[in-house]
Amino acid sequence: MSEAILRVSSLHKYFGDHHVLRGVDLEVQRGEMVCMIGSSGSGKSTFLRCLNFMEYPSAGRIELMGKVVGRESGARDGAPTYAYEERELVGLRTHVGMVFQQFNLFPHMTVMQNVMEGPVTVLRTGREEATERARENLTKVGLLDKADQYPSRLSGGQQQRVAIARALAMKPDVMLFDEITSSLDPELVGEVLNVMRDLSAEGMTMIVVTHELGFAYHLARQVLFLYEGVIHEQGTPDEVLKNPQQERTKGFLAGFTDFYF
Amino acid sequence: MPVYEWDFAFVLNYRGVLWEGFLGTLKIGFSSLGLGIVIGLLLALMRLSRLWVVRAPAIAIIEFFRATPVLVLLFWCYYALPIIIGVAFDAYTAAIITLGFQTGAFMAEVYRAGIVSIDRSQWEGGKALGMSLRQLMTRIILPQAIRRMVPPFLERSFELMKTTTQASVITYGELLYKALLLSAQLYRPLEIFTLVAVFYFVMLTIASFAVRYIEHRIDAARL
Repeated sequence: MSEAILRVSSLHKYFGDHHVLRGVDLEVQRGEMVCMIGSSGSGKSTFLRCLNFMEYPSAGRIELMGKVVGRESGARDGAPTYAYEERELVGLRTHVGMVFQQFNLFPHMTVMQNVMEGPVTVLRTGREEATERARENLTKVGLLDKADQYPSRLSGGQQQRVAIARALAMKPDVMLFDEITSSLDPELVGEVLNVMRDLSAEGMTMIVVTHELGFAYHLARQVLFLYEGVIHEQGTPDEVLKNPQQERTKGFLAGFTDFYF
Repeated sequence: MPVYEWDFAFVLNYRGVLWEGFLGTLKIGFSSLGLGIVIGLLLALMRLSRLWVVRAPAIAIIEFFRATPVLVLLFWCYYALPIIIGVAFDAYTAAIITLGFQTGAFMAEVYRAGIVSIDRSQWEGGKALGMSLRQLMTRIILPQAIRRMVPPFLERSFELMKTTTQASVITYGELLYKALLLSAQLYRPLEIFTLVAVFYFVMLTIASFAVRYIEHRIDAARL
Protein backbone atom coordinates (compact mmCIF):
# COMPACT_ATOMS: atom_id res chain seq x y z
CA MET A 1 0.00 0.00 0.00
CA SER A 2 1.63 3.20 -1.10
CA GLU A 3 1.44 6.48 0.68
CA ALA A 4 1.87 9.86 -0.95
CA ILE A 5 4.71 11.59 0.86
CA LEU A 6 4.62 14.68 -1.30
CA ARG A 7 1.80 16.31 -3.21
CA VAL A 8 2.39 19.42 -5.25
CA SER A 9 -0.33 21.20 -7.15
CA SER A 10 -0.20 24.19 -9.49
CA LEU A 11 3.22 25.32 -8.39
CA HIS A 12 4.24 28.69 -9.82
CA LYS A 13 7.48 30.56 -9.35
CA TYR A 14 8.43 34.01 -10.55
CA PHE A 15 11.84 35.62 -10.42
CA GLY A 16 10.77 39.23 -10.87
CA ASP A 17 8.76 39.22 -14.08
CA HIS A 18 10.27 35.97 -15.21
CA HIS A 19 7.70 33.19 -14.91
CA VAL A 20 9.94 30.19 -14.27
CA LEU A 21 7.42 27.60 -13.12
CA ARG A 22 3.99 27.75 -14.72
CA GLY A 23 1.88 25.33 -12.76
CA VAL A 24 3.59 22.06 -11.87
CA ASP A 25 1.73 19.12 -10.32
CA LEU A 26 3.44 16.11 -8.85
CA GLU A 27 2.70 13.30 -6.47
CA VAL A 28 5.48 11.20 -5.00
CA GLN A 29 4.94 7.94 -3.13
CA ARG A 30 7.08 6.91 -0.20
CA GLY A 31 10.08 4.90 -1.33
CA GLU A 32 9.88 5.90 -4.97
CA MET A 33 12.49 7.57 -7.10
CA VAL A 34 11.40 10.35 -9.43
CA CYS A 35 13.81 11.68 -12.02
CA MET A 36 13.41 15.10 -13.60
CA ILE A 37 15.06 15.84 -16.91
CA GLY A 38 15.02 18.84 -19.18
CA SER A 39 17.38 21.40 -20.64
CA SER A 40 18.83 24.15 -18.49
CA GLY A 41 16.35 26.92 -17.87
CA SER A 42 13.43 24.50 -17.98
CA GLY A 43 12.80 25.12 -14.27
CA LYS A 44 13.70 21.69 -12.93
CA SER A 45 16.22 22.92 -10.36
CA THR A 46 13.90 25.73 -9.31
CA PHE A 47 11.12 23.23 -8.82
CA LEU A 48 13.36 21.06 -6.67
CA ARG A 49 14.48 24.05 -4.62
CA CYS A 50 10.86 24.98 -3.95
CA LEU A 51 10.29 21.58 -2.36
CA ASN A 52 12.51 22.39 0.62
CA PHE A 53 11.85 26.11 0.36
CA MET A 54 15.30 27.19 -0.70
CA GLU A 55 13.05 29.23 -2.98
CA TYR A 56 9.60 30.27 -1.91
CA PRO A 57 6.89 29.26 -4.35
CA SER A 58 4.98 32.24 -5.75
CA ALA A 59 1.78 30.22 -5.83
CA GLY A 60 0.61 26.63 -5.51
CA ARG A 61 0.18 24.09 -2.79
CA ILE A 62 2.83 21.84 -1.31
CA GLU A 63 1.73 19.04 0.97
CA LEU A 64 4.46 17.15 2.72
CA MET A 65 3.68 13.99 4.68
CA GLY A 66 0.01 14.86 4.74
CA LYS A 67 0.51 18.41 5.93
CA VAL A 68 0.06 21.52 3.83
CA VAL A 69 3.01 23.89 4.19
CA GLY A 70 2.24 27.51 5.07
CA ARG A 71 -1.06 29.30 5.43
CA GLU A 72 -3.25 30.13 2.48
CA SER A 73 -3.06 33.86 1.86
CA GLY A 74 -4.61 34.60 -1.52
CA ALA A 75 -4.49 33.54 -5.14
CA ARG A 76 -2.36 34.12 -8.21
CA ASP A 77 -2.52 32.59 -11.68
CA GLY A 78 -5.55 30.61 -10.57
CA ALA A 79 -3.60 28.91 -7.79
CA PRO A 80 -3.69 29.58 -4.06
CA THR A 81 -0.76 31.47 -2.57
CA TYR A 82 0.68 30.72 0.83
CA ALA A 83 2.37 32.70 3.56
CA TYR A 84 5.33 30.86 5.03
CA GLU A 85 6.81 31.15 8.46
CA GLU A 86 10.54 30.68 8.75
CA ARG A 87 10.08 28.57 11.87
CA GLU A 88 7.92 26.04 10.05
CA LEU A 89 10.31 25.89 7.10
CA VAL A 90 13.34 25.36 9.33
CA GLY A 91 11.57 22.41 10.91
CA LEU A 92 10.48 21.05 7.56
CA ARG A 93 14.01 21.10 6.16
CA THR A 94 15.14 18.61 8.79
CA HIS A 95 12.83 16.09 7.08
CA VAL A 96 13.85 16.93 3.53
CA GLY A 97 17.49 16.31 2.72
CA MET A 98 19.20 18.07 -0.14
CA VAL A 99 22.37 17.37 -2.05
CA PHE A 100 23.77 20.12 -4.26
CA GLN A 101 25.65 20.25 -7.53
CA GLN A 102 28.59 22.00 -5.84
CA PHE A 103 28.57 19.74 -2.72
CA ASN A 104 28.37 22.73 -0.33
CA LEU A 105 30.45 20.94 2.29
CA PHE A 106 31.72 23.03 5.19
CA PRO A 107 35.43 23.57 4.45
CA HIS A 108 36.33 24.42 8.05
CA MET A 109 35.15 21.05 9.31
CA THR A 110 36.48 17.55 8.80
CA VAL A 111 34.43 14.97 6.95
CA MET A 112 33.29 13.54 10.28
CA GLN A 113 32.33 16.98 11.62
CA ASN A 114 30.44 17.74 8.42
CA VAL A 115 28.33 14.63 8.83
CA MET A 116 27.78 15.22 12.56
CA GLU A 117 26.91 18.89 12.25
CA GLY A 118 23.22 18.47 11.41
CA PRO A 119 22.38 15.91 14.09
CA VAL A 120 24.38 17.68 16.81
CA THR A 121 23.49 21.32 16.11
CA VAL A 122 19.99 20.98 14.71
CA LEU A 123 18.57 17.76 16.14
CA ARG A 124 20.49 18.03 19.45
CA THR A 125 21.57 14.42 19.16
CA GLY A 126 24.19 13.44 21.76
CA ARG A 127 27.78 13.37 20.49
CA GLU A 128 28.16 9.67 21.03
CA GLU A 129 25.06 8.75 19.07
CA ALA A 130 25.88 11.31 16.38
CA THR A 131 29.37 9.87 16.01
CA GLU A 132 27.94 6.38 15.74
CA ARG A 133 25.46 7.48 13.11
CA ALA A 134 28.09 9.42 11.18
CA ARG A 135 30.29 6.33 11.05
CA GLU A 136 27.40 4.27 9.72
CA ASN A 137 26.63 6.79 7.03
CA LEU A 138 30.25 7.23 6.04
CA THR A 139 30.54 3.46 5.79
CA LYS A 140 27.48 3.47 3.56
CA VAL A 141 29.11 5.89 1.13
CA GLY A 142 32.45 4.09 1.47
CA LEU A 143 34.42 6.93 3.06
CA LEU A 144 34.91 5.99 6.67
CA ASP A 145 38.69 6.03 6.11
CA LYS A 146 38.46 9.74 5.17
CA ALA A 147 36.62 10.73 8.36
CA ASP A 148 39.41 12.97 9.66
CA GLN A 149 40.27 14.65 6.37
CA TYR A 150 39.16 18.10 5.37
CA PRO A 151 36.90 18.25 2.30
CA SER A 152 39.54 20.12 0.27
CA ARG A 153 41.67 16.98 0.35
CA LEU A 154 39.01 14.85 -1.33
CA SER A 155 38.12 14.32 -4.97
CA GLY A 156 34.84 15.72 -6.28
CA GLY A 157 33.23 12.29 -6.19
CA GLN A 158 34.32 11.74 -2.62
CA GLN A 159 33.10 15.18 -1.58
CA GLN A 160 29.73 14.48 -3.13
CA ARG A 161 29.48 11.18 -1.27
CA VAL A 162 30.26 13.01 1.98
CA ALA A 163 27.48 15.45 1.13
CA ILE A 164 25.10 12.52 0.70
CA ALA A 165 26.19 11.09 4.06
CA ARG A 166 25.67 14.50 5.64
CA ALA A 167 22.11 14.67 4.32
CA LEU A 168 21.46 11.06 5.35
CA ALA A 169 22.57 11.73 8.90
CA MET A 170 19.42 13.78 9.40
CA LYS A 171 17.34 10.65 8.65
CA PRO A 172 15.27 12.55 6.10
CA ASP A 173 11.94 11.31 4.75
CA VAL A 174 12.67 12.63 1.28
CA MET A 175 15.94 13.47 -0.42
CA LEU A 176 16.39 16.00 -3.18
CA PHE A 177 19.32 15.70 -5.58
CA ASP A 178 20.12 18.76 -7.66
CA GLU A 179 22.28 17.68 -10.62
CA ILE A 180 24.73 16.19 -8.21
CA THR A 181 26.98 14.60 -10.82
CA SER A 182 27.03 17.53 -13.23
CA SER A 183 30.21 19.11 -11.93
CA LEU A 184 32.14 15.84 -11.58
CA ASP A 185 34.78 14.48 -13.89
CA PRO A 186 33.23 11.68 -15.94
CA GLU A 187 35.22 8.94 -14.20
CA LEU A 188 33.85 10.03 -10.81
CA VAL A 189 30.20 9.97 -11.75
CA GLY A 190 29.80 6.22 -11.27
CA GLU A 191 30.77 6.10 -7.60
CA VAL A 192 28.14 8.73 -6.78
CA LEU A 193 25.41 7.07 -8.84
CA ASN A 194 26.17 3.77 -7.12
CA VAL A 195 25.55 5.33 -3.74
CA MET A 196 22.26 6.71 -5.01
CA ARG A 197 21.29 3.34 -6.43
CA ASP A 198 21.93 1.71 -3.03
CA LEU A 199 19.86 4.37 -1.29
CA SER A 200 16.99 3.79 -3.65
CA ALA A 201 17.21 0.05 -3.10
CA GLU A 202 16.91 0.68 0.63
CA GLY A 203 13.64 2.43 0.02
CA MET A 204 14.67 6.08 0.29
CA THR A 205 12.25 8.48 -1.36
CA MET A 206 14.28 10.44 -3.88
CA ILE A 207 13.61 13.27 -6.27
CA VAL A 208 16.47 13.59 -8.66
CA VAL A 209 17.29 16.28 -11.19
CA THR A 210 19.76 14.69 -13.54
CA HIS A 211 21.29 14.49 -16.97
CA GLU A 212 22.21 10.84 -16.44
CA LEU A 213 19.52 9.32 -18.62
CA GLY A 214 20.80 5.78 -18.23
CA PHE A 215 20.55 6.12 -14.48
CA ALA A 216 17.02 7.51 -14.76
CA TYR A 217 16.01 4.78 -17.16
CA HIS A 218 17.13 1.93 -14.94
CA LEU A 219 16.17 3.25 -11.50
CA ALA A 220 13.37 5.80 -11.68
CA ARG A 221 9.76 4.84 -11.24
CA GLN A 222 8.60 8.13 -12.76
CA VAL A 223 10.39 10.35 -15.21
CA LEU A 224 9.31 13.94 -15.75
CA PHE A 225 10.39 16.03 -18.70
CA LEU A 226 10.19 19.72 -17.90
CA TYR A 227 9.95 22.30 -20.61
CA GLU A 228 9.50 26.02 -20.05
CA GLY A 229 8.23 25.63 -16.53
CA VAL A 230 5.68 22.90 -17.04
CA ILE A 231 5.79 19.11 -17.02
CA HIS A 232 5.72 18.49 -20.71
CA GLU A 233 5.75 14.72 -20.51
CA GLN A 234 5.50 12.33 -17.60
CA GLY A 235 5.44 8.57 -17.20
CA THR A 236 7.50 5.47 -16.66
CA PRO A 237 11.10 5.51 -17.92
CA ASP A 238 10.02 3.37 -20.87
CA GLU A 239 7.27 5.75 -21.80
CA VAL A 240 9.22 8.97 -21.50
CA LEU A 241 12.74 7.94 -22.45
CA LYS A 242 12.10 5.17 -24.99
CA ASN A 243 8.79 6.10 -26.55
CA PRO A 244 8.33 9.80 -26.01
CA GLN A 245 5.10 11.17 -27.48
CA GLN A 246 5.96 14.85 -27.50
CA GLU A 247 8.18 16.44 -30.12
CA ARG A 248 10.04 18.51 -27.49
CA THR A 249 10.89 15.38 -25.54
CA LYS A 250 12.12 13.63 -28.66
CA GLY A 251 14.22 16.64 -29.55
CA PHE A 252 15.73 16.80 -26.09
CA LEU A 253 16.56 13.10 -26.03
CA ALA A 254 18.06 13.23 -29.50
CA GLY A 255 20.72 15.54 -28.10
CA PHE A 256 22.10 12.73 -25.98
CA THR A 257 24.38 10.93 -28.38
CA ASP A 258 25.83 8.60 -25.79
CA PHE A 259 22.56 7.26 -24.45
CA TYR A 260 21.87 3.67 -25.54
CA PHE A 261 19.81 1.13 -23.65
CA MET B 1 76.27 75.15 3.68
CA PRO B 2 76.42 74.78 7.45
CA VAL B 3 76.45 71.26 8.76
CA TYR B 4 73.81 70.45 11.33
CA GLU B 5 75.22 68.94 14.48
CA TRP B 6 73.00 66.16 15.67
CA ASP B 7 72.80 65.81 19.44
CA PHE B 8 70.65 62.88 20.44
CA ALA B 9 72.28 62.57 23.88
CA PHE B 10 70.89 65.91 24.95
CA VAL B 11 67.39 65.05 23.78
CA LEU B 12 67.51 61.60 25.34
CA ASN B 13 67.88 63.22 28.75
CA TYR B 14 64.21 64.02 28.31
CA ARG B 15 63.20 60.53 27.16
CA GLY B 16 60.78 60.32 30.09
CA VAL B 17 58.57 62.87 28.38
CA LEU B 18 58.59 60.93 25.13
CA TRP B 19 57.91 57.70 26.99
CA GLU B 20 54.88 59.31 28.59
CA GLY B 21 53.71 60.32 25.16
CA PHE B 22 54.25 56.80 23.89
CA LEU B 23 52.08 55.41 26.70
CA GLY B 24 49.49 58.03 25.82
CA THR B 25 49.54 56.77 22.25
CA LEU B 26 49.02 53.19 23.37
CA LYS B 27 46.21 54.22 25.70
CA ILE B 28 44.31 56.20 23.14
CA GLY B 29 45.04 53.66 20.42
CA PHE B 30 43.77 50.66 22.31
CA SER B 31 40.73 52.35 23.81
CA SER B 32 39.69 53.63 20.38
CA LEU B 33 40.27 50.19 18.95
CA GLY B 34 38.13 48.58 21.66
CA LEU B 35 35.37 51.09 21.08
CA GLY B 36 35.71 50.71 17.32
CA ILE B 37 35.39 46.92 17.52
CA VAL B 38 32.10 47.19 19.41
CA ILE B 39 30.69 50.04 17.33
CA GLY B 40 31.77 48.27 14.17
CA LEU B 41 29.98 45.09 15.19
CA LEU B 42 26.77 46.97 15.89
CA LEU B 43 26.97 48.89 12.64
CA ALA B 44 27.72 45.73 10.66
CA LEU B 45 24.75 43.88 12.14
CA MET B 46 22.52 46.86 11.47
CA ARG B 47 23.80 47.14 7.95
CA LEU B 48 23.04 43.46 7.27
CA SER B 49 19.51 43.79 8.57
CA ARG B 50 16.62 43.10 6.26
CA LEU B 51 14.76 46.16 7.56
CA TRP B 52 15.77 49.32 5.80
CA VAL B 53 14.90 51.47 8.83
CA VAL B 54 17.69 49.68 10.65
CA ARG B 55 19.99 49.48 7.66
CA ALA B 56 19.74 53.11 6.53
CA PRO B 57 21.10 54.82 9.67
CA ALA B 58 23.98 52.35 9.76
CA ILE B 59 24.88 53.16 6.17
CA ALA B 60 24.61 56.89 6.92
CA ILE B 61 26.92 56.64 9.94
CA ILE B 62 29.43 54.45 8.14
CA GLU B 63 29.59 56.68 5.10
CA PHE B 64 29.78 59.85 7.18
CA PHE B 65 32.77 58.69 9.19
CA ARG B 66 34.53 57.19 6.22
CA ALA B 67 34.16 60.36 4.18
CA THR B 68 35.11 62.93 6.81
CA PRO B 69 38.72 63.74 7.70
CA VAL B 70 39.68 62.72 11.22
CA LEU B 71 41.22 66.11 11.86
CA VAL B 72 37.93 67.87 11.17
CA LEU B 73 36.01 65.42 13.32
CA LEU B 74 38.45 65.89 16.19
CA PHE B 75 38.05 69.66 16.14
CA TRP B 76 34.33 69.34 15.82
CA CYS B 77 33.97 66.83 18.63
CA TYR B 78 36.25 68.82 20.92
CA TYR B 79 35.00 72.33 20.25
CA ALA B 80 31.55 72.17 18.63
CA LEU B 81 29.87 69.13 20.15
CA PRO B 82 30.14 70.42 23.75
CA ILE B 83 28.28 73.57 22.73
CA ILE B 84 25.52 71.56 21.08
CA ILE B 85 24.94 69.02 23.83
CA GLY B 86 26.16 71.14 26.71
CA VAL B 87 28.74 68.65 27.96
CA ALA B 88 32.42 69.39 27.63
CA PHE B 89 34.81 66.54 26.92
CA ASP B 90 38.43 66.37 27.87
CA ALA B 91 40.86 65.78 25.04
CA TYR B 92 41.06 62.05 25.75
CA THR B 93 37.28 61.53 25.60
CA ALA B 94 36.88 63.62 22.48
CA ALA B 95 39.71 61.72 20.82
CA ILE B 96 38.43 58.23 21.57
CA ILE B 97 34.89 59.14 20.55
CA THR B 98 36.16 60.40 17.21
CA LEU B 99 38.69 57.68 16.58
CA GLY B 100 36.37 55.01 17.99
CA PHE B 101 33.55 55.93 15.63
CA GLN B 102 35.85 56.33 12.69
CA THR B 103 37.44 52.96 13.35
CA GLY B 104 33.99 51.47 13.95
CA ALA B 105 32.84 52.69 10.54
CA PHE B 106 35.77 50.98 8.87
CA MET B 107 35.51 47.85 11.01
CA ALA B 108 31.83 47.54 10.13
CA GLU B 109 32.88 47.25 6.52
CA VAL B 110 35.57 44.73 7.42
CA TYR B 111 33.03 42.54 9.23
CA ARG B 112 30.41 42.93 6.56
CA ALA B 113 32.84 42.18 3.76
CA GLY B 114 33.96 39.08 5.64
CA ILE B 115 30.42 37.82 6.02
CA VAL B 116 29.29 38.54 2.48
CA SER B 117 32.46 36.99 1.09
CA ILE B 118 31.24 33.58 2.25
CA ASP B 119 29.69 31.87 -0.72
CA ARG B 120 25.92 31.51 -0.92
CA SER B 121 26.42 27.76 -1.17
CA GLN B 122 27.54 27.71 2.46
CA TRP B 123 24.32 29.35 3.57
CA GLU B 124 22.33 26.87 1.53
CA GLY B 125 24.30 23.90 2.82
CA GLY B 126 23.45 24.83 6.39
CA LYS B 127 19.92 25.87 5.60
CA ALA B 128 19.22 22.54 3.93
CA LEU B 129 20.15 20.82 7.20
CA GLY B 130 17.42 22.79 8.94
CA MET B 131 19.66 25.35 10.62
CA SER B 132 18.19 28.54 12.01
CA LEU B 133 19.75 31.87 11.10
CA ARG B 134 21.56 31.94 14.41
CA GLN B 135 22.96 28.44 13.99
CA LEU B 136 24.03 29.27 10.46
CA MET B 137 25.88 32.33 11.67
CA THR B 138 27.65 30.80 14.65
CA ARG B 139 28.45 27.38 13.16
CA ILE B 140 28.97 27.96 9.46
CA ILE B 141 29.38 31.57 8.41
CA LEU B 142 31.32 33.33 11.19
CA PRO B 143 33.97 30.64 11.71
CA GLN B 144 34.87 31.03 8.04
CA ALA B 145 34.32 34.77 7.84
CA ILE B 146 36.48 35.63 10.85
CA ARG B 147 39.51 34.06 9.20
CA ARG B 148 39.03 36.40 6.27
CA MET B 149 38.45 39.39 8.52
CA VAL B 150 41.75 39.07 10.36
CA PRO B 151 44.11 40.64 7.78
CA PRO B 152 42.00 43.74 7.02
CA PHE B 153 41.18 44.03 10.71
CA LEU B 154 44.85 44.18 11.64
CA GLU B 155 45.58 46.50 8.74
CA ARG B 156 42.95 48.88 10.06
CA SER B 157 44.35 48.67 13.57
CA PHE B 158 47.76 49.76 12.24
CA GLU B 159 46.16 52.63 10.47
CA LEU B 160 44.50 53.66 13.72
CA MET B 161 47.77 53.64 15.65
CA LYS B 162 49.18 56.11 13.15
CA THR B 163 46.03 58.20 13.14
CA THR B 164 46.32 58.73 16.90
CA THR B 165 48.99 61.37 16.15
CA GLN B 166 46.17 63.64 15.01
CA ALA B 167 44.83 63.79 18.56
CA SER B 168 47.76 66.13 19.24
CA VAL B 169 45.81 68.96 17.65
CA ILE B 170 43.30 68.91 20.50
CA THR B 171 46.17 68.82 23.00
CA TYR B 172 45.89 65.17 23.90
CA GLY B 173 49.24 64.09 25.33
CA GLU B 174 50.20 61.33 22.95
CA LEU B 175 53.63 60.87 21.46
CA LEU B 176 53.50 63.57 18.80
CA TYR B 177 52.04 66.15 21.17
CA LYS B 178 54.76 65.50 23.74
CA ALA B 179 57.32 65.76 20.97
CA LEU B 180 55.93 69.14 19.92
CA LEU B 181 56.10 70.39 23.48
CA LEU B 182 59.59 69.11 23.92
CA SER B 183 60.89 70.57 20.70
CA ALA B 184 59.47 73.97 21.66
CA GLN B 185 61.45 73.79 24.87
CA LEU B 186 64.69 72.29 23.64
CA TYR B 187 64.93 73.73 20.11
CA ARG B 188 65.94 70.28 18.90
CA PRO B 189 63.07 69.33 16.55
CA LEU B 190 65.22 67.27 14.17
CA GLU B 191 66.37 64.84 16.84
CA ILE B 192 63.00 64.73 18.52
CA PHE B 193 60.99 64.02 15.40
CA THR B 194 63.57 61.51 14.26
CA LEU B 195 63.08 59.70 17.54
CA VAL B 196 59.31 59.86 17.16
CA ALA B 197 59.54 58.38 13.68
CA VAL B 198 61.78 55.60 14.99
CA PHE B 199 59.32 54.92 17.78
CA TYR B 200 56.45 54.41 15.35
CA PHE B 201 58.60 52.47 12.96
CA VAL B 202 59.77 50.03 15.62
CA MET B 203 56.34 49.64 17.18
CA LEU B 204 54.52 48.97 13.93
CA THR B 205 57.26 46.80 12.47
CA ILE B 206 57.14 44.51 15.48
CA ALA B 207 53.37 44.43 15.24
CA SER B 208 53.62 43.72 11.54
CA PHE B 209 55.75 40.65 12.15
CA ALA B 210 53.30 39.48 14.79
CA VAL B 211 50.50 39.89 12.27
CA ARG B 212 52.29 37.86 9.66
CA TYR B 213 52.84 35.15 12.19
CA ILE B 214 49.16 35.11 13.08
CA GLU B 215 48.14 35.01 9.42
CA HIS B 216 50.55 32.18 8.81
CA ARG B 217 49.05 30.21 11.69
CA ILE B 218 45.54 30.78 10.33
CA ASP B 219 46.57 29.53 6.91
CA ALA B 220 48.20 26.50 8.44
CA ALA B 221 45.07 25.64 10.37
CA ARG B 222 43.10 25.81 7.12
CA LEU B 223 45.10 23.02 5.46
